[in-house]
Amino acid sequence: MAISEEEIKWLARLSKLDFEEGELESFTRGLDEIIGFADRINSDVAGDTQSIREVEGECDALSALRPDVVTPSSPNEEITSNAVSERGCFSVRRVVK
Amino acid sequence: MKSVLLPLASALRSGEITSVSLTEKYIARIEEKNPQINAFIHNCFDYALESAERADKLIKGGNAPILAGIPFGIKDNICTKGLPTTCCSRILENFKPIYDAAAWEKLKAAGAVLLGKTNMDEFAMGSTGERSVYGPCVNPLNGEKVTGGSSGGSAAAVCARMAPYAIGSDTGGSVRQPASFCGVVGFKPSYGAVSRYGLIAYGSSLDCIGTLTSSVSDAAIVFDGIRGRDDRDRTSIPSPTGKKELKGDIKGLKIGVAEELFEGCSSEVADAVKEAVKLYESAGAKIIKMSIPALTLALPAYYIIACAEASSNLGRYDGIRYGYRASGYSGVDDMVIKTRSQGFGDEVKKRIMLGTYVLSSGYFDAYYKKACIVRNNIKAELEKVFGQCDVLFAPTAPKTAFPRGYASTNPLETYSADMCTVPVNIAGLSAISIPCGADKEGMPIGLQIIGARGADLTVLDCAYFAERENAFAHCDKGEDDYEL
Repeated sequence: MAISEEEIKWLARLSKLDFEEGELESFTRGLDEIIGFADRINSDVAGDTQSIREVEGECDALSALRPDVVTPSSPNEEITSNAVSERGCFSVRRVVK
Repeated sequence: MKSVLLPLASALRSGEITSVSLTEKYIARIEEKNPQINAFIHNCFDYALESAERADKLIKGGNAPILAGIPFGIKDNICTKGLPTTCCSRILENFKPIYDAAAWEKLKAAGAVLLGKTNMDEFAMGSTGERSVYGPCVNPLNGEKVTGGSSGGSAAAVCARMAPYAIGSDTGGSVRQPASFCGVVGFKPSYGAVSRYGLIAYGSSLDCIGTLTSSVSDAAIVFDGIRGRDDRDRTSIPSPTGKKELKGDIKGLKIGVAEELFEGCSSEVADAVKEAVKLYESAGAKIIKMSIPALTLALPAYYIIACAEASSNLGRYDGIRYGYRASGYSGVDDMVIKTRSQGFGDEVKKRIMLGTYVLSSGYFDAYYKKACIVRNNIKAELEKVFGQCDVLFAPTAPKTAFPRGYASTNPLETYSADMCTVPVNIAGLSAISIPCGADKEGMPIGLQIIGARGADLTVLDCAYFAERENAFAHCDKGEDDYEL
């Protein structure tokens, strides 16, 4: 199969990525190659009548949910220590005027 | 293969050496070797020496855990509170986690001494150890060859004797394959046996923390130090049961050999693994030849599932809460797009895009759903296999270490190099890679021993037979300079 540059642009928008015009061609070629590789999955697979819930499987029987108990969370100054922050909040450019 | 940790633990207890002197020795070794190899990308030597002082006191007090006072390295995708953890990506530059990963928490509590973070393919996406923002990691056995990946730094650190052991992670073979390329032992426990809490996610249903060591005995010691149920990881399972002490008892052990796991292997690799099978047979194991047809689709299923999960997991990198943030943007959406486009490397972008593609409307059923069906078929077939045999023997990688730069011009061949390792992750099994031979250039060949999920101790015991018997002594490649 061949993926078009238009489809790449659509995927990039969904993935929140952007490509310069110059790098789009080589990226399209690379992605086309890997999609062709993934396409081998369509060679001979039965079970198409099952729902995705059935094929993804049930939760692992060995694992268990932890008790629904409130535990202490990290201090505000630690949480914001890796970010641009102001007065204990994550800071981004104004979105509402 | 011989244990490094047991003599070190013994010398620390007898007072022959101290943790501080041992740590200084490894720091000197890193300073000498790392500029050529690039296995460590963040060092924490002051912290290591402080930890070593504490460990010496702990050991003097008696009853210290076996790993107390022994230095080690940890892959850069495992959170270490207050120390850089970047996944070797620009998007996490300067990131210092505010919590410790469960595996590191356990080692820290045991008095282990952290030397630094090891190099890796960005976000664990790669099989060569070359796709790191800090530059490639070089195979200590041959400077023209790659280390394998993605835990290339951890494997190279052990191989070059820059650390007695290292911790890595394995999503599709990222512990076992570099272990094979560098001639060390790489152990990937059963899915859930080691908590994933604090392991930065790539493919969450496949990710597993593992060990890189010089011997099987050491792998068992480190595994014992990091395993265990953890409420903070929903997929964590109770520790495997069974005999803990390694005996290497293989009499009557049933070893399966599946033809699909040899397809595409070089003759040198296939021959070395078949020789290993014969050796076990001559020592009393029973060999069962078999076919597991579902494995032929394991590789595409793996890449679809791993990339689908990656596209979701890596959605969190937006430049707002941590990591790199682009400058010169027009609004929040533009900031997120510019941050991600400048912060991720090409391979990561490619895998995010593939993941987005296979999950998108119109392609979901044709790719992601089919991959889940294939995964179920593989699990079901392997469950039957482990009803007939105790372990499977296979090559770890179809070929020995690639030349440097090869992956950038042959991406699909590099993906195919994971063909022997990905079925283990798809089914959540346990597996180990031990060196069992060498190619004509002297590069190591790995034997992979695979067990059922939860059969970690069976896998280790089976591999220990080769260590006890010194069966593959001709493959010991590392420099033997462990004078205390």
